[in-house]
Formats: sequence, structure tokens, C-alpha cells
Amino acid sequence: MSRSPRTLHRPARRAAALAVVVALPAGCVTVRPAERALLSLPEMTPAADAEEETFYGHVEAAREGAVGGHGAAGGGCGCG
Amino acid sequence: MRLIPRPLLAVAVCAIALSLVFGRLVRAEQGRLTIYGNYYRERSTRVLQPGVRVTVHAPDERLTFGAGYLLDAITSASIAAGAMQVTGGDFAFTEFRHEAIGTVASKLGPWQLGGHFRYSTETDYIARDLGLSFGRDFLQRTINLALSYTYAFNRVFALRGPADVNPWCGGLVPTTECLDDNAGNKNLLQVHYLAATYTHALHKKLLAQAAVETSFARGPMDNPYREATIPNGFPEAHPRERDRVSLFANLRAVFPRARLTLDPRYRFYVDDWGIRAHAIDLRLHVRITRHLRARLRYRFYTQTQARFYRDDMIYTGAQDEERSGDPKMDDFMSHTPGIQLTWQLDGIARFRGLAFLEGAYLQATYNHIIFDYDDTRSIYCTDGGYLPKRVLERRSDLCGARLGTVAFSIPF
Repeated sequence: MSRSPRTLHRPARRAAALAVVVALPAGCVTVRPAERALLSLPEMTPAADAEEETFYGHVEAAREGAVGGHGAAGGGCGCG
Repeated sequence: MRLIPRPLLAVAVCAIALSLVFGRLVRAEQGRLTIYGNYYRERSTRVLQPGVRVTVHAPDERLTFGAGYLLDAITSASIAAGAMQVTGGDFAFTEFRHEAIGTVASKLGPWQLGGHFRYSTETDYIARDLGLSFGRDFLQRTINLALSYTYAFNRVFALRGPADVNPWCGGLVPTTECLDDNAGNKNLLQVHYLAATYTHALHKKLLAQAAVETSFARGPMDNPYREATIPNGFPEAHPRERDRVSLFANLRAVFPRARLTLDPRYRFYVDDWGIRAHAIDLRLHVRITRHLRARLRYRFYTQTQARFYRDDMIYTGAQDEERSGDPKMDDFMSHTPGIQLTWQLDGIARFRGLAFLEGAYLQATYNHIIFDYDDTRSIYCTDGGYLPKRVLERRSDLCGARLGTVAFSIPF
């Protein structure tokens, strides 16, 4: 039995639309370069987690039905 | 038992040699070397994963090259991992996976460009993926929008004996058809992955990130060894197509007076196999001293069952064309508490002879995963894993796993 991806992805499309609506009002805020000292801390930098997130992505792909949210596509593995 | 596993030692020696060579080739602080070791442990499986990663600016962030190598040493006694075919019984065996990656990145004004190629090989699986990404900053770098595309093309095989490796086309393709010389690309798994990421500095203390990821997979996605877990002997047969979507959101808020950073994340996932999943990951970063940080983490994960998965594992052949013995197709929850300590070594770099440690750090991470299956304990950890006996006596559907990482990173 095959179900249409269009039907299945409706909740995902709704959530994406909601995210865009929420993000739009924030679009006019500008943080000047001189105000970014705290934003440059490692714990505030998403890229600082890249190696760790790759490992979590790999473990989750082997043990969970879902993937994503780690910022990069994981490498292949036959350990599933 | 060896204190330092041999593969980890080999990688450490190679990494030190590489850093010495790179250190002489380029000027000071033009790159970074990271050596790490990942560890995953369940009762039936142990994974040791030493690796090394090097990035070099040539001569600055306008052009950056990267390379990495990772060794996956998987010791397993699980029939679902091929123990029967390799050892002739349900005995432990160790398999190695080698992964190499090359990256190139460029920052040109507000633009970021990147590319990578990854190659991974093990006895019964060859994975390759090629990726491209580009991003752009807006509003004085307050907003960043990034798009990435990855194409993966993997070859899947099945071990039928210690030295007998055959193509695996999935449980829906008859074995004779798969072994045929004209089988062509039936054992090829192709994945197209697309992601869009939006990052916004909402305030000088608040950063938001949202991402949409989709992937379209075509090819064998089942496990050739899992027929042993389906009682009536049918091989596992997953659909050969899978479309997946995930939505991700992350907020990071720093409170400098309290030396705290809140880092909550949420991911929603849906696919056309009938799985819907929610993951909430709450992280709290604490600056204990100027150079020492701790991070506490709790992750909650829940998913629904794939439409073709049966709790009783009773499949009736032709009527149930699609079959699964894979516990990750079942509905379950998991809880993951974790802790991470990061020591930035700038504090000791001022001592004589240790100046080379400026910008270096040591990091140790530990996570404990508790899987909560609704009906029966997973085959991943049949005897409950690392949970107290009195808990397991009350809850026969729980099992645990350990996850750890140690990393050392140094600029050169």
C-alpha cells in the first residue's frame, strides 16, 4: 500500500509555514558587529558543535527511525 | 584489556606527525588539528571510533582545506549485525569501517561556499557522498541563510560466510535476481539530501536557528542478516523508496552575569514509511571558571511505528510483502541525560614552553541512553544494558546504552 508523500508531508509543510510567519517579525532586528562579543562565545556558535553532532547523527541513524537536526548529512554505514 | 586501544594509538601518532608537518609548512595559527575518540556501548555491541580532523587556511578563511579520517571498530555478538555469517554462531566479532573525508570551504565577503567528498568502506557496505553548500550573510551579518545538497551513492552487500560477500538488493528483490550479472544497480542505494538553514542573531544575547531537511532515498534499506529475528524465517523486506522531512529549531540565550547559556532544540520528523518523531534536546552551558565549561543535557525522543512493522513479528509471506525485524521501526521513547566538560588550555599556555597550547582545548562527554519500548525489550540490548537491576525487575521493556567522547583540539 503506497501513500502519497504530498498527504504525509502536510504537517511538515504547516510547521514550516508557521516557522516562517514567526521569523518574519524578527527580520528587522540588526545586531551591530560591536555588540557581538557574547554571540562569538563557543557555546553560542552552532558550528562549534559540528564534530559532536556528526557522531550523534550517526548513532541516531543506527538506533532511531528519524534523522536530521544535526546540521550535516551523515556518512553511510551498514550497521542499521 | 589495553588501556589505550591500538587503533586510537595509531591515529594519535599519525595526528601528531601530521600536526608537525603542517606546523612547519604554514605560518602560525593557520589551521586546527582535532584528535577524538568516540565510544558507544550496549550489551551486544561496542563501538570504538578514533578519528582525526585537520583544517588548514591557505592563506586565510578565503580558502580552507580540510581532511579527516575515522576508524569505526564495531564489536558485536548480534545476529542482526551478521555474527552468524562471520563466526558461524552467535559469537562476538569485530568489524572495521574506515571513513575518509576531504573538504574545501571559502568565505568571500558575505558569501560562504563549501564542498566535501566522503568515502566509507567496510566488509559489506561502501558509502560515498558528495556535497555542496553555499550561504550568504544579510543585515550586517545578523542573518545567515545557507543551502546544502548532498548526493550519496552506496553499494550494499551481504556476507554469506566468512569470505563470501554477495550484493544485497533488499528483501523485495529475489536473491537469484540480485546475484544475476545483469542485476545492474539494484544494490545501489542513492540518497539526495537537501537542507536550508536560517540563522538569526535576534539580540546581542540571543541566537535563533531553524532548518528544513529533506532526503529522498532509493535502493536497499533493510538488513540482510535480520531474518533470524523474524520467527517464521522470512528475510527483512523494507520498501526500496523513502522520502523524509525534518524541521529543526534551536534558540541560544546567554546570561553573562549567571555565566549560563540556555540551548534548547526541537526537531520534528515525518516520512512516508509512517514514522513521525519528536526530539527535544535541552542543553545548559555553565562557565565554571574562565577556562572551564560544563554542559548538562537532557534529550527526549519519541517516534511512532512504521506502517509495515508488526509487534508480534508474525508475517505471512506474500500478504505481508514488506516486513521488518528492525527495532527502530517500532514505536518507542528514549531519554538521554548527559554531561560535557571543556577545558580551554589558554590558562596554562602562559607557562614557559606551553605557549603552543594557546587556543587548544580538551573535551570529555558522557551520555546515558535509556530506551523505553512499549511492548518488549529491543534486541539491541536483550538483557537490559546498563540499568540498575531493581529498575529492570519492574520494567522489562527498558534497556540502556552508553555514549562517550574524548577530544583534543589544537590550532597550529
